[in-house]
Amino acid sequence: MRCDKIREMMPDLASGLMGASPEIGGHLAACGACAGKLEEFRRTMELLEEWQAPEPSPYFDVRLQARLREEIAKPQAGWLAWFRRPVLAAALTVLMAVGVGLFFTRSGGIYKSGDDEIAVVESQAQSAEPGTAVSDLQALEKNHDLYSDFDLLDDLEVQHDVVANP
Amino acid sequence: MDRGVLMASLGPRPAGGMQSAMAGGESYTDAEVMLRVKAGDQSAFDFLVQKYRRPLVSFMYRMARNTAAAEDLAQEVFLRVYRSRQTYEASAKFTTWLYRIATNLAVNHARDTRKERPEVMVSLDEPDEETGTTMDVADHTITAEEGLVRRERLAAIRGKVEALPERQKLAVIMHKYQQMEYKQIAEVLKLSESATKSLLFRAYETLREQLKEFV
Ligand SMILES: [Zn+2]
Repeated sequence: MRCDKIREMMPDLASGLMGASPEIGGHLAACGACAGKLEEFRRTMELLEEWQAPEPSPYFDVRLQARLREEIAKPQAGWLAWFRRPVLAAALTVLMAVGVGLFFTRSGGIYKSGDDEIAVVESQAQSAEPGTAVSDLQALEKNHDLYSDFDLLDDLEVQHDVVANP
Repeated sequence: MDRGVLMASLGPRPAGGMQSAMAGGESYTDAEVMLRVKAGDQSAFDFLVQKYRRPLVSFMYRMARNTAAAEDLAQEVFLRVYRSRQTYEASAKFTTWLYRIATNLAVNHARDTRKERPEVMVSLDEPDEETGTTMDVADHTITAEEGLVRRERLAAIRGKVEALPERQKLAVIMHKYQQMEYKQIAEVLKLSESATKSLLFRAYETLREQLKEFV
């Protein structure tokens, strides 16, 4: 057996993951270079042993369960998830309202000044006609509250499971 | 097959429903358990979490350098396993798949945080609450000086392993600390077995050279 073959196996030989076959043993007994290197590898491996990793903290499971519940509670990972974020939904509502508002004010000829424009936009946003994009967004925003409650229910159910099956 | 040597580092842990469902314990491979997760069995997933939480936290700890990030990343691995349950194919060995997810996350995390912290110093003055001190506290017979020497040695080990090129570091962590076989490390890193062997040899050779003052 050649030295380079032995060296290839050295990480496993030195860590004890592999036992020395008679053939390897024979080479090591005859080749001082390989035997010396193996011994050095062994000591290096032993030294590396000192770097211990901590156990998972007591919060690991609790935190993972919480993250998993969030995962399960997601209705679907599609576009609807966007509307579950209140800030995004609100921002979209305002954006749409501005667009709709501008459209109405400009086409209706009631566009006067910057300040008035904002007032009109706000009134549009608050009382959108049913069936418009704005009302759809407002409905979705209300649904968001509904989804939040679903999350809460899921939480309760899981907590119940935890108690029932510790 | 899937149980592998990783089981050696795991204590016997009760795993709720799955445990009772298994009746006799060791009759399922991880791949089979994962197929039950795919079929909607939540207790099968809990079983995998209990089995792999410790190896994954320790893997991530050595890759991410701190406990909080390690736990966060290990949880992320489990979440990704859960998310991918529908597309899981039993053709891949479960642990290979698991460690490939873990490796991707760890490497990305390292890249993201390298920008924030261009150089991570292992400080000797500041106590290492994760390993150094617990080791010292556990052993009441050592003196303050011995404690300092030990901490210096530990800092060197961490520093040198962390300074290895990325693939060598991953290979050493999987081989030395996760007790994985060449073949499996090769699969996770998508290398040939002989390339993995020489990668590991080079890595240990570097560590031997750079840590020789401590052995
Ligand atoms: Zn030789």
